[in-house]
Formats: sequence, C-alpha cells, structure tokens
Amino acid sequence: MGPLSVNEIISPNTNLFLAFIIGIGFGFVLEQCGFSSSRKLAGLFYGYDMVVLKVFFTGGVTAMLGLLFFSLFGWVDLNLVYINPTFLASAIVGGLVMGAGFIMGGFCPGTSFCGAAIGKIDAMIFIVGLFIGVFIFAFGYPLFEALYKAGDMGAPKISSMLSISDGIFAFILVVIALGMFYVSEWVEKKFPREEY
Amino acid sequence: MKPLHFLTLILIIPAVIIALVPQNTTHPYKLTAEQLLTEIRTGTQFVSPDELADQIIKQDPSIQLIDVRNPREFDQFSLPGAINIPLQDILSDRNDDLLNQSTKMNIFYSNGSTEANEAWLLTRQLGYQNNYVLLGGLNYWTETIMNPSKPGSFSPNDEIARYDFRKAASMKLGGGGEAALATPAQDKSTTAPKPGVVPVKKKKKASGGC
Repeated sequence: MGPLSVNEIISPNTNLFLAFIIGIGFGFVLEQCGFSSSRKLAGLFYGYDMVVLKVFFTGGVTAMLGLLFFSLFGWVDLNLVYINPTFLASAIVGGLVMGAGFIMGGFCPGTSFCGAAIGKIDAMIFIVGLFIGVFIFAFGYPLFEALYKAGDMGAPKISSMLSISDGIFAFILVVIALGMFYVSEWVEKKFPREEY
Repeated sequence: MKPLHFLTLILIIPAVIIALVPQNTTHPYKLTAEQLLTEIRTGTQFVSPDELADQIIKQDPSIQLIDVRNPREFDQFSLPGAINIPLQDILSDRNDDLLNQSTKMNIFYSNGSTEANEAWLLTRQLGYQNNYVLLGGLNYWTETIMNPSKPGSFSPNDEIARYDFRKAASMKLGGGGEAALATPAQDKSTTAPKPGVVPVKKKKKASGGC
C-alpha cells in the first residue's frame, strides 16, 4: 500500500500537510534533546557530549528497521521509496563544508531553526550565515556546477554493493551503531565537562 | 537497567529477526481486482470515435494513438499519427516511457476493442495512467466516421448534427463516399505529421533532508 503519496492513497497536499506535522514533531524532539544549545552540539567534536550522535544514529537505525519490517509485512514497496542520488565527490566536499560550519557555528541547519524558535540569538545569526551561504551557492552556481554534478552514482545501496541482503546489512549497521554508543559513553567519561 | 542496555536490547532483537527473514521481493500491483473491476464496469477507459475524430482534426498534440495490431496490419492502414506497439511488446522496457507517463493521452486501438482493451488492462494493472481505448476499434471507426449512415429526415437535430460532423470528419480524414474523391483514401503522406513523443522522466518521489 505504501508509499502513500506515490500510490496516490493521499494527495500531494495531504502529503505536504503530513510533512508539516512531522516537521513540527522533529523540531520538538530536537528541542527536547537539548539540540537548541550549541554547546551541546559542539560537545560531539570535543567528546564531552555525544548525544547528537546517539540521537541521529538511533533515529536512522529505527527508521531502517521500521522500513524493512513494513516491507516484510507488505505495507510499503521499497522500490518506490525515493533514495537521494549519490554524488560522491560533492558529498565529500559538502560534508566537509557542513562539518566546518557545524564546529564554527555550533549548529546544523535544522537545529539552528530550533534554537532560533526559542529565541537564541546565536542561532539567528547562524541562520543569517546559512542564507549567505545559500545565496553564494545559488548565484555562483556556474562555478560549482561541475563539482555539484561530479561522480553521479545513481541511487546505490551499500547492501547491493556488498551483495548481501538488506536485512544482514541492517543487522551489521545496528551492531556498529550500538558499538558507537558504547564507545561514546566511554568518550564522555574520558573528556568530562561539568558546566556547559 | 541502564538506558543504553535497554536500547541495545530493543534494537538488537528486531535486527536479528530482519537479518534472518528472507527479503520481501514481491512487487505488489498497484490496483486491486476490485478497483479494476469498478473501472471496467464504468468504462472510463473508452474514447468514442467522434471524440477521437475531433481531436485528430484539431491536431490535438496531447493525444498519442497506439496501434496494438501486428506491424503488417499497421503498414496496411493506420490512423494519422499512430505508432505501432504490437500487443506482445506492450510490457517491454522499450515502451515503458511511452506508456507510463503523465503528459499525453495514449489511445490504444485494434480492429475491434478486444486487443486494445487487453493492452489497457495490462497497463492499468501496472498502475499506469493516461491510457485509453478507442471504443469499438477500427471497425466501428470505419462504420461511424468513414462511412456514416445518413439519418432519416425526421431524426432529431442532434443526430443530424452528428451525421454532419462525421461526414466532415470523413472528408478531412479521407473516408469513403464522395470524400474519397476529394482526398486520396488512407494515404499516410497526406495526414498530419506524426507528433513526436518525448519520453518523460519519471516523476521524482518526495525528497528530504536534515
């Protein structure tokens, strides 16, 4: 039956409305996790607070298992689920730019809006910077176009590249995630910071 | 129990299950039998010869005629602008862009309605839209548009109007009767140029990000 929008069970407008509701939920959870504090976010890079890694990895792993079970029950057709195409070179460059901005500004795009929503001035200034970056990219697009479109790999799945089943890959990823959670607990103990 | 141990437990159990069960590789059809039955019973897939003649004369660029008969029959006679996709090739990947698209109105036709309807049924079952069937096929087309029968002099006005339209269409499209003298019958070179079909990219599904 799913994806609901692709199979026209719900209209594109309903789809947008649901996205709006889910977006509010996403923002609420981000705020409740303390992601509107840039000190907490920056903790990821200094090792005193790894909650960002834990939340996003838990979210990803939960969604992965959920989709695989839905597919198993025949509730969703995974072939119709949109996968963002992979552009390897631009993903690496973009990831570095995003990471540098994350460390310097103390926010990622989503959390900056979260912070701005509860009145954090640093988050608002981060959003201004974010828009400056957006405009530079948009108006300088001819300069970046070659890099932007470099290394188009389509929409590959790691499981099919390794020629293992999606389920086995999911299991491996869950084990990796849990391993990272235990390591991050250890890191937090190693680099503690009382007040932030 | 520490929260992390609890998390480990609730993640690792489904992960083990999903690793052990076979992958669901079935591709469910988009329409259920009931939905299809409703569509068949309401007959929304049919385009009447009059509607089609009107569209052909207006050179409506949004229609694409698809001849599902075999190539030999297609070469002997085809409607203006039609392309040939024999019924046995209807599921080949080559034709996927033509049949599964959202810009044109595909109209299947065959000699009767049967083969065209079969083509429609197959594509509809796959969830494709914008595919239609010429009601009655070429036989009915010839009967109504090419050789319209003159209504009696006491027939209602709309029937006479329909006859006039059909006769005019027949002349324009090279049908029988006096029209045959005006234009060489069924000569492809005199018909409208074939509208090129641009294979459209599949609609992108919703995208998202952080």
